[in-house]
Amino acid sequence: MKHPSESELALFAGNEYGRISRFLLNRHVRECRECTAAVARFEMLRAEMAVAAIPDLDWSRLESEMRANIRLGIEAGECVRLAPEVRSLNPRLAIAFGCLIVLAGTGVFMKNGSVRVERLSSASKAAAGPVLESTGDGLELRSGASSMTLMNHHGAVADQTVSAEGEIRARYVEGGSVTINSAYLE
Amino acid sequence: MPAQDRALDPANSVKVDLQPDSPLSLISMSMGDSRASARGGATVLDLHMSLTLRNAGLRRVRGVTLLITTQEFAPGGKASVARPCIDVAPSQEFTLPVDVRLVRPVQQAGGGPLVRVQIDGVLFDDLSFFGPNKLNSQRAMTFWETEAQRDRSYFKRVLQAKGEKALQSEILLSLTKQAEHGQLDVALSRNGRSAGSVVSSASQRVAQFAFLTMPDAPVQPVQGWAEISGNEARSPEIEVLNKSSKPVRYVEIGWMVKDKDGNDYLAGSVPASSNAMALPPGQKSKLLPDTTLKFSKTGRPVDIQGMTGFVSEVEFSDGKVWVPSREQLKGSPLLRIMAPSPEEQRLADIYANKGLAALIAELNRF
Repeated sequence: MKHPSESELALFAGNEYGRISRFLLNRHVRECRECTAAVARFEMLRAEMAVAAIPDLDWSRLESEMRANIRLGIEAGECVRLAPEVRSLNPRLAIAFGCLIVLAGTGVFMKNGSVRVERLSSASKAAAGPVLESTGDGLELRSGASSMTLMNHHGAVADQTVSAEGEIRARYVEGGSVTINSAYLE
Repeated sequence: MPAQDRALDPANSVKVDLQPDSPLSLISMSMGDSRASARGGATVLDLHMSLTLRNAGLRRVRGVTLLITTQEFAPGGKASVARPCIDVAPSQEFTLPVDVRLVRPVQQAGGGPLVRVQIDGVLFDDLSFFGPNKLNSQRAMTFWETEAQRDRSYFKRVLQAKGEKALQSEILLSLTKQAEHGQLDVALSRNGRSAGSVVSSASQRVAQFAFLTMPDAPVQPVQGWAEISGNEARSPEIEVLNKSSKPVRYVEIGWMVKDKDGNDYLAGSVPASSNAMALPPGQKSKLLPDTTLKFSKTGRPVDIQGMTGFVSEVEFSDGKVWVPSREQLKGSPLLRIMAPSPEEQRLADIYANKGLAALIAELNRF
């Protein structure tokens, strides 16, 4: 069986194919576990990016800060950060800035075919067996195209401990109570 | 994709299954802003549950662990949510958050509850236990409670001997330590697999553990090693000797790693592999977990340059447990590296949010 290329699967996962190509690919993906897993990984990546909503922002100010940083380099960037109007930035601006960096990074990622294929091959290999990992959101247990993430309540920052026996714990305090989430590899 | 989101029906997606003789009863379950989204060929379920439970027994509850199973989503594992360091009197209620995100291909969708929540264990104030204990939560909760008693007692002693200012200084020190506490991100896999990591066999080496000795620890690490390859450590193996006069049924060795810049991190722990471990006095045994740990920090691999181990927990066959005393921790570099106990974290949080008077009132409750 001839499998679609990684780039075709990525475009398929992002609904960026025409109707006919999509139909043909869909037939293959439905019947091929390996390609289903690859598509699901692409979709998860997109979903994770979609979760962080971009707040309403002062885009002009953001643009001028970015321009200043690019033009003047890191030192000038430091000066911009020290300016009073920048000091009063609210945290939403930082989130938006982070989102832009992620978007830019993803653009480079999607453009550079060889790097992408290499990395995705590695990710596909990793998806072969259950893997337990601590992520920014919480504890993620992946197995093939399926996953379960035990998240920290309200995005609380957690201390984690790892047991070489196959367990990760994430501990956080909220409202005067300690919660300990654990995920286990069987 | 809000158009594809739909409210979840809690009755269909989550089943809370409490045993009939459980000392806790379910009062209510809120699903908050839980959502199901279809994203291309995948279903994403964001469940934000809040379970309100009542202590229906006659003893005070000091800890609870809920077992979370989602077999369709995580065929190779399971999860739990625990609430240690509580003091719930009979007929009192408390709330526990359970936040889970599930992703699976659409074609796998089946009927019935997607998430099952059960009680794995309840710990009481006399350290007695109720529950199936599938996750060994009795041991974990007993250790947390023992550490909690140790730390409450320490802060009370400071208050009584040196006064409020000294207590305040201790708590501020704890908060500073928590803020500075560096930790690594870890990916765990079985049988030599590791998440997204490619290593060359040429860079593999076997590294020996160095050990920090605790004078009154009932168990002593004798020797240990692990296969190291860049930022991966595989199949750690540690030999321990029971120095005490009682049989030991569980040992855990704390595991510190040093990066190439000389920074130490508490990487994790190496526990006894077998639940049926029985280590008689004067005998040796090996801890042999068959896992691979991959360490990174802010997305960058952390090359492991050295490893240090220390005895962090011991459980005797009579159920009694040993944890390092505050005095021992204070006199060793461990206090700087180890995360504070859940109770110390909770007490520091009370001070940070409600002030010294609230902290003193909390200490006096016990």
